[in-house]
Amino acid sequence: MLSFDVQYQWQNFEAHYQGQFAVGATSILGASGCGKSTLLSLLGGYVVGQGSIGFSGQDLSLSPPFERPITTLFQSDNLFPQLSVWDNVAIGICASRSLSSAQKEKVTWALEQVQLSDCHTKYPDQLSGGQAQRVAIARVLVRDKPILLLDEPFSALDPKLRSDMLVLIKTLTETYQWTTVMVTHSPADAVLLGGNVLLVEAGKIVAQTDAKKLYELPSESPFCDYLSVS
Amino acid sequence: MISNAHLRPAWLGVSLYSVIALAALVALLSYASPSSWGSFFSDPYTWRVVRFSFMQASLSALLSILLAIPMASCLFHRRFWGRQTLLSLFAISMVVPTIVAILGIVVVYGRNGWFTALFGQPFPLYGLGGILIAHVFFNMPLAVRIILQAYDLIPDAQWRLASQLGFSRWRVFQLVEWHYLKKNLPGLFLLIFMLCFSGFAVVLSLGGGPRSSTLEVAIYQALRFEFDLNKASYLSLLQVVICSVVALAVYRFAPPVRQDVSLYQGGRLPLRSSKWTSGLDYGVLSVVLLWVLPPFVAILSPVFTELFWLSLLDSQLWRGLWHSVRIALPSGVLALLMGLSIAAIARAWRWHPRRNRWAVRLEQSGNLVLMVPSLVLATGLFLLFRHLGVSIKHAYWIVVWVNAVMALPFVLRAIMPVMYQQEKRFRQLYQQMNIVGWSRLRIEWRTIRPALAQGLAYAVLLSLGDLGVVALFGSKGLETLPMYLYQLIGSYRVEQGACVAVVLIGLCLVLFYGITRLLGGRRAVV
Repeated sequence: MLSFDVQYQWQNFEAHYQGQFAVGATSILGASGCGKSTLLSLLGGYVVGQGSIGFSGQDLSLSPPFERPITTLFQSDNLFPQLSVWDNVAIGICASRSLSSAQKEKVTWALEQVQLSDCHTKYPDQLSGGQAQRVAIARVLVRDKPILLLDEPFSALDPKLRSDMLVLIKTLTETYQWTTVMVTHSPADAVLLGGNVLLVEAGKIVAQTDAKKLYELPSESPFCDYLSVS
Repeated sequence: MISNAHLRPAWLGVSLYSVIALAALVALLSYASPSSWGSFFSDPYTWRVVRFSFMQASLSALLSILLAIPMASCLFHRRFWGRQTLLSLFAISMVVPTIVAILGIVVVYGRNGWFTALFGQPFPLYGLGGILIAHVFFNMPLAVRIILQAYDLIPDAQWRLASQLGFSRWRVFQLVEWHYLKKNLPGLFLLIFMLCFSGFAVVLSLGGGPRSSTLEVAIYQALRFEFDLNKASYLSLLQVVICSVVALAVYRFAPPVRQDVSLYQGGRLPLRSSKWTSGLDYGVLSVVLLWVLPPFVAILSPVFTELFWLSLLDSQLWRGLWHSVRIALPSGVLALLMGLSIAAIARAWRWHPRRNRWAVRLEQSGNLVLMVPSLVLATGLFLLFRHLGVSIKHAYWIVVWVNAVMALPFVLRAIMPVMYQQEKRFRQLYQQMNIVGWSRLRIEWRTIRPALAQGLAYAVLLSLGDLGVVALFGSKGLETLPMYLYQLIGSYRVEQGACVAVVLIGLCLVLFYGITRLLGGRRAVV
């Protein structure tokens, strides 16, 4: 269980997030600028707020990003352009890239999982956007952290590829019992990923529901307001 | 050709540099008689000079870069008390007039200097030791600043990823930083090599005789004492050939780099730290401080003497100051205009399918001038003027132009990275809306003005400290502060000279801060 109670202030924007994420998928919806990505940055350790972030009895709020049991998949720039596909995955296990044979097999396995085995010698600028994000997912697999944060990583992909990716993430979340949190603009993506859906407005979590019931909520639910304009 | 009309002023700037330089070279070479070069060629003294020039330049460049890489990494990753002051000191030591720094180095390492007082025996200053101390003093700070500029081009997203993956400082250097730095290192090596290879004032003062002389000094002797234009032409050509061979070799082995542009901008994130990297940081910091600080302290110490305040009343000092400023400011502006012209054309070609090869060559042509001794350009121009019947009172313009051309490589180093980056990121946007020339400059102004200010400040300060060209024409109403200082040291009035040095440093500081603040704005890197 990932629980948090954090406050954050930047210029005129004030946020106070309270809640917890259970094992499984959670999507965060909300208008642009409402503070969805800020919540992810706080959890990942890329901005520092005040308050507590706890996971399995451990306080993460003061840990640097690399000491948190978390992998974040960003909207872009998930790969080092100067490293090959293989190296980009291998640094998820060991930054020196001197891997044991078991670790090498793990990299091969992860690239197989995202169907990129034959691209391992290529460089990021030789890949399509979807392939690049799949390489990043392969690194998520080898890093083997219990929490996965997704900051709209598939927003630039075409609909078919995007749904393939979401299905892949959903399957992996269920298989490995991850706590997966995805920020998205698209209610359809949230439904496809399944699990819980949260609504963020003006730096606060204002509503929560099951993804399956997203389109069946009573009209007074804050979601209806958001969905009608989105 | 609407797309090219806006580049016409830039072409004017480029020809102001290239056509005049070519004409000056041709004018000098017209006095050469290659049939007599056989005797020069078999002269063992020439080859000893070449060997020594080559060795001291390679050692200076290697040592400067080897110290600069860990220093730049430490300055980039650490925030410590005095960091900004150290960066400012580096900026000054790069452009502190050569003769002033030599004075400081002599006070510290000379026979009766601080080193002798501390260790009981003198430092072997005259010869290779002194030349290396001085060359690293000037060029290591230059290398640090150029490497820091390369650091600034690493996208923030790479640091975010490195932090998430728990990279240590060493790992991040290996996997991220090195890929960005290595593209800059061959050019940087070449720049320092050429600056040292054609070293003049340092070698003349600290070389300690004909055993450790460079080609540039030999050329000066041929021009000034023997007025042997034929020999000077031969030695200049030899210098150009050697530098060209080194340049070709360096660029041939320069590695290609995969570089990207990222839109993400984030704050500084922690990396995994270790005792080794902290130890290395402190070690490098100590070596660098010991290298750079003492000569500065030595230069500034006369401020507390009575003689300093008395020598301020000397009218020759103020005349020297006026001559220095009236040469340095116009030549700085000229250098910036020529640099901007080259940059404008080079970046317009850089992503052009057929002309992209020429962009790199044009940029390199700005560095070519490092191969051509400034004395040779000045003499060539003098001969050209004489040939055209223009009298010597125009030596002022010769000095302004030669100083501007000599500063061009530094201006290009300062402005090219940001000019290319703007082009790479927004080229299509500019093309789509046909934003060219002046309107484009206004949009880019905020981003490029710190780099422009840095380029102008370097150019002005280099010209302010020049002793080579002005020494050739110095007696014709152009007695600048460095000239005056040189004369004082020559007539053993070292203490009065030290006071002039303080005034010269003060002038450098005022101009440097003035330019970086006024032109660079508040964001300028000082």
